[in-house]
Amino acid sequence: MRILVVEDDAEAATAMVRGLTEAGNDVVHAVDGAFGLLEAQKGGYDVYVVDRMMPRLDGIGMVETLRKDGDQTPVLFLSAMGEVEDRVTGLKAGGDDYLVKPYAFAELIARVDALARRRETGGVQTVLKVGDLEMNLIARTVHRGTTEIDLQPREFQLLEFLMRHAGQSVTRTMLLEKVWEYHFDPQTNVIDVHISRLRAKIDKGFEHAMLQTVRGAGYRLEP
Amino acid sequence: MKLPSLFRRTPFRLTLLFLALFAAAASAVLAYVYFASASEAQARAEADVRAETSVLTALYRTRGVDVLNQALVERVTKRSPYLYLLMRADGSKITGDLSVTERSPAGTTNGPLTNVSPIENYRGGEQWATFRFTDTDAAGNVVRNQALGVQVTLSGGEMLLVAEDLGDTEKYLSRLTQALWAAMGMVLLLGAGGGLILSRNVERAMGRLNRVVTAVQEGDLKARVEVRRSGDELDELGAGLNAMLDRLQASMASIRHAGDAIAHDLRSPLTRMRAKLEVALIDAEAGKIDGVDALQLSLSEADELLKTFNTVLAIARLQAAAGRTPDPEKFDAGSLAADMAELYEPAAEDKGLEFSAEIETGLLIEANRPFLAQALANVIDNAIKYTPAGGAVMLRARRRSSGDIEFSITDTGPGVPDADRGRVVERFVRLDNSRTEPGSGLGLSLVAAVLEAHGGRVQLDEGPGEYGGFGPGLRVALILPAAAT
Repeated sequence: MRILVVEDDAEAATAMVRGLTEAGNDVVHAVDGAFGLLEAQKGGYDVYVVDRMMPRLDGIGMVETLRKDGDQTPVLFLSAMGEVEDRVTGLKAGGDDYLVKPYAFAELIARVDALARRRETGGVQTVLKVGDLEMNLIARTVHRGTTEIDLQPREFQLLEFLMRHAGQSVTRTMLLEKVWEYHFDPQTNVIDVHISRLRAKIDKGFEHAMLQTVRGAGYRLEP
Repeated sequence: MKLPSLFRRTPFRLTLLFLALFAAAASAVLAYVYFASASEAQARAEADVRAETSVLTALYRTRGVDVLNQALVERVTKRSPYLYLLMRADGSKITGDLSVTERSPAGTTNGPLTNVSPIENYRGGEQWATFRFTDTDAAGNVVRNQALGVQVTLSGGEMLLVAEDLGDTEKYLSRLTQALWAAMGMVLLLGAGGGLILSRNVERAMGRLNRVVTAVQEGDLKARVEVRRSGDELDELGAGLNAMLDRLQASMASIRHAGDAIAHDLRSPLTRMRAKLEVALIDAEAGKIDGVDALQLSLSEADELLKTFNTVLAIARLQAAAGRTPDPEKFDAGSLAADMAELYEPAAEDKGLEFSAEIETGLLIEANRPFLAQALANVIDNAIKYTPAGGAVMLRARRRSSGDIEFSITDTGPGVPDADRGRVVERFVRLDNSRTEPGSGLGLSLVAAVLEAHGGRVQLDEGPGEYGGFGPGLRVALILPAAAT
C-alpha cells in the first residue's frame, strides 16, 4: 500500500513512517500541508494520513482542496483535539476517519488498513464470504459450511464489520465506533465479551478458529 | 493635566461637541428672537403712525390747514411720542419737530436747491420709509435715532409727515442681543468647566479600572476595583469586572487543583512503571525474561496514565463550560439507555450478575451524546465491578413526575455509606474497600461534571437493602432536564 503521511512534527513523523513501513507499506512523508498537497497531486496513493494542525496549509485546508479537485483517496485525520466538534469539522472537510493523539500504532495501522480496504471493495455486495463463512445481507442469514448460525442483530453487525475487514486487525475502539457508533471509553472490555459470544457461535465445534485475538491490537477474522 | 491629553479624553470631547451644538442652537434662537422683535416693533410703529396720520388728515379735511397746524404745534410742545412735519406744496416747512434739508435734486450735483423732507425721493401719495434724524436724548447728548414714518399729500397741496421714533426699540434690541451673547458666553464657560470636572471624574474612575486591569495583566489576580455603591454605570462596570475576576480566580484555582491532582495521581503509576522498567531491564540483562513482555506491560501502564489524564481534561472542560452543554444534540434518552444496556449486558452476565433494563421511550433530551454515554458507562461499569457474583444490576430510564429525565442504575453490591456519598463524586476519591479494584477515582467525578454541564445532577441513594448476604446496594440516579419541545 502507498501511504502519504503529512505531519509537521518530525519525531512523530519518523515513528509513524517507521511503523507503517514495518507493516509492509510504501510510505512518503511531507512536512506540511503545502508539501502534502503537492505530493498528493502527483497521485498514486491509497491513503493519506494527515495531521490537522500544521504551519502554512493545515490538514483541513489541504483535504478540502484535494476533495475540490476530485481526489477521493481516503483520509485519516490525526489530531490532538478530540472533542466532538473537532471530529465533526474533520469529517465534514472530507476526512474518512479521525484518530486522536496519542494513539497506539496498532490503532493507526488497523485504521489505515481499513480505509485502504474500503476503497478496494467498493460496489454493493449482497453476500459476504470469508473462508467457509457466508453472510447473506439481504436474507440476513449466516452459514458456516452447511451449518446455519443464529445471530442477534448486534452480533450480525459485528460479524459483518469483521467480514468486510477480513484478514485485517480491527481494534476494540474501532468496533465501538463503527458497530455501536459511540465514542467513549467503556472502562472494562465490554467489546471482548461481545466478541467471545460471537466466537462461541461461529467457531465452536469447528476445527479451524476464524476469529483470532491479535495481541496488543484487537481482533482479526481469518479465512 | 496637560491640555493636549485632555483633548484626547472622551468626556471632554463629548462636552466640547455638546457645547458646539448648543452654541449653534442658541445662535439660531437668538437670530429668531432678534428678527421677530424687530419686525414686531416695526409693525406696531406702523400701526401707530397710520392711526395718528388718519386722525390728522381727518382734522385737516374738516377744519383746514390752520387747525391742523395748531394741533401739530400743541402735540410738539406736549412731547407726543410722534414726530411731525407739515410742509407747503414746494416742500418748505410750515411747522413740526422735524426739519427739511435743502439739497440738489436726486441725480444732480448742482443746480437749484430744493427742500427735501426726511423721506427722500417723495413721489406723492402715501409713502412709507425709515430714516435717521438728529435728536438730543434725556442726558442732553446728540443722538441720531431711527424713525419710521409716512408722508401724505393733503387735498390743499400741503404735505404731512408723521413718524415714530424707533430709538427705544433699537435700544431694547441691542440690550437683548447683549444679554443673549452674555448668557451664551456664560453657558460656554460653565459647560467647559463642567466638562473638565466631568472628564476628571470619569478619568479618575477609569483610572481605578485601568489600574486593576494593569495589575491583572501583570499577574495579580487578587486586584479588585473599589466599588462606591453609587449605582452608576462605572460602578456596575467595576462590579462586573470584579465578578469576572472572581470567576477567573476560581477557575484558575480549579485548574491548579486539577493540575495538582493530576501530578499527584500520575506519580504512583509513573513510579510503578519506572520500577517495572528497571526490574525488566535487570531481568532482561540477566537473560531471565523476554524484554518484549516487560515493554508491553509498560505500554499498558502508559495507556492507563493517558486515560487518567484525558478524564481530568474532560472534567476540566465540562466545568469550564459552566452549565452550558458542549455540542448538544436532541435525541431519545431511551435509545441511549437501550444501547448501553445492550453493550453491558453480556459483561454483567459473564460475571454472574442478573442484568435487567426498564426503559421508557420518547424521553427527548438535548445533550452531548458521547459525554452522557460516558457518564452512564462509568456508573454501569462501577455497578458491575462492585456487585459480587449472584447479585443484580438494573438500568432504568424514565420521566420523573417533575418532567425531568432520569437514568438510574441500581445494584445489590455493598453500596456506599451515607457519610461517603457526597465525597465519592470528588476527584480521586476512592473508598477503602475499592482500593483493590483498578480505577482512577475519577469515574463519578466525571459523571457529576457531565450532569452539571447539562443542568442536571447526580443522586446517590441506598439500593434495595440487605438480603441473603447482598446489599444494601447503591442506586445512582442521573437526572437532567427534558428537551424543550
